[in-house]
Amino acid sequence: MFELIVGFVSVVLQQGSPAIPGSAGAAIAVGLAGLGAGIAERGIGAAAVGATAEDDDMFGRGLVLTVLPETLVILALVTFFLV
Amino acid sequence: MSTASSSSSNYEYVTARTRSRKARLFDEDDYRQLTRMGTGEIARFMEESEYDEEMNDLAARYSGVDLIEFALNRNRAKHFDDLLRWADGPLHDYIARYLRRFDAWNVKTAIRGLSSGAARDEIESDLVRTGELSESRTDRLLDANSVEEVVEVLDGTRFGPALDDAVDEYEESASLVPLENALDRAYYRSLLSDMPAETDRATELYVEFLRAEVDFRNLRNALRLARSGSSVDPGEYYIDGGRLFSADELGSLAENTNELIARLRNGVYGERLSGALDELEEADSLIGFERALEEVLLAYSNRLSQLYPLSVCPVFAYVLEKEREVRNVRAIARGREAGLDPDEIEAELVIL
Repeated sequence: MFELIVGFVSVVLQQGSPAIPGSAGAAIAVGLAGLGAGIAERGIGAAAVGATAEDDDMFGRGLVLTVLPETLVILALVTFFLV
Repeated sequence: MSTASSSSSNYEYVTARTRSRKARLFDEDDYRQLTRMGTGEIARFMEESEYDEEMNDLAARYSGVDLIEFALNRNRAKHFDDLLRWADGPLHDYIARYLRRFDAWNVKTAIRGLSSGAARDEIESDLVRTGELSESRTDRLLDANSVEEVVEVLDGTRFGPALDDAVDEYEESASLVPLENALDRAYYRSLLSDMPAETDRATELYVEFLRAEVDFRNLRNALRLARSGSSVDPGEYYIDGGRLFSADELGSLAENTNELIARLRNGVYGERLSGALDELEEADSLIGFERALEEVLLAYSNRLSQLYPLSVCPVFAYVLEKEREVRNVRAIARGREAGLDPDEIEAELVIL
């Protein structure tokens, strides 16, 4: 058990370079943001399809509302310029 | 349609659609216009609204108030069936639970039709084809030639056991009351039994709501019985599941209206019912009281649907509103046909 912890710590606290390089960290950030946006769009998309089914004029508004959480991903892309 | 489903509820989709449909229901202005129209004009008004499809379908076969009524029934069945079609998972179960009342209604219609010797067509046009009984079973209900056969058709459904018990009594007394009672009881029993495990605040409120409905039904039965002056014990018609009365209490309270009112004021619904109770005390009229009860239920359901947008509450509010619309338009059409004036009809309507 103790050796395991020592092994783990030695990976995390590597001397010289970090365990997760900057670009990899940024990639994780964008990926997680995409996942969050997807989860948010699930509900909005379902509601938008429902509204459009009842009334065709709702298509434009539904589309805009559905892609709103997409802004999360755009903000997450900023991390790429930071590293 | 089966109730058991393991998938999760699709609240977003269903509530978006029901909200859109709710917005298209008749509003206060429409009602005001309708109360001033004759039956022909009402029919034309409906043709230009939600009901055009049904009106066009049925116009060849019926006319006047019958046309309006059948179109209302059919449209309601269509909308409620849509709800069942859309909903998944626990949400489907919550909706189906309530819509089973139309199963009970259909069976009652079939039984009454058979005992009064109505033709198959006539019975069919009175059915509201929604709820849990399958199309084929409903058709078999229509094909049945005797009340016993109807009971046989329902064997294995929710209503089976209750009807089996009641059919002997029916054969002895040749009165439909035991059968109809058994149906209603079976419906109300299934309304609150084995709720799905998913319990969040909104679902709790929904259950509470169904309880209130049972309570109000008991209350209405008791008051009606007391007013009609018959010697039947209201306790006999008591439905389990409410939280306001027990069967014995209801029997004794029905005889003494003042005590009943006092009890209601101090009970769980006291605050919400105070308007309705005032009306009962002052006007001493059951019609006003029943209308007020309904208004309380509707207002409460609307409030819940705003507090819990992603839950069963908005769907349920729509179901109640739609039922109210059907009842209102029907009351207007019947009232106009009977020659009541607009003000009298307006007093009968449930408008929020």
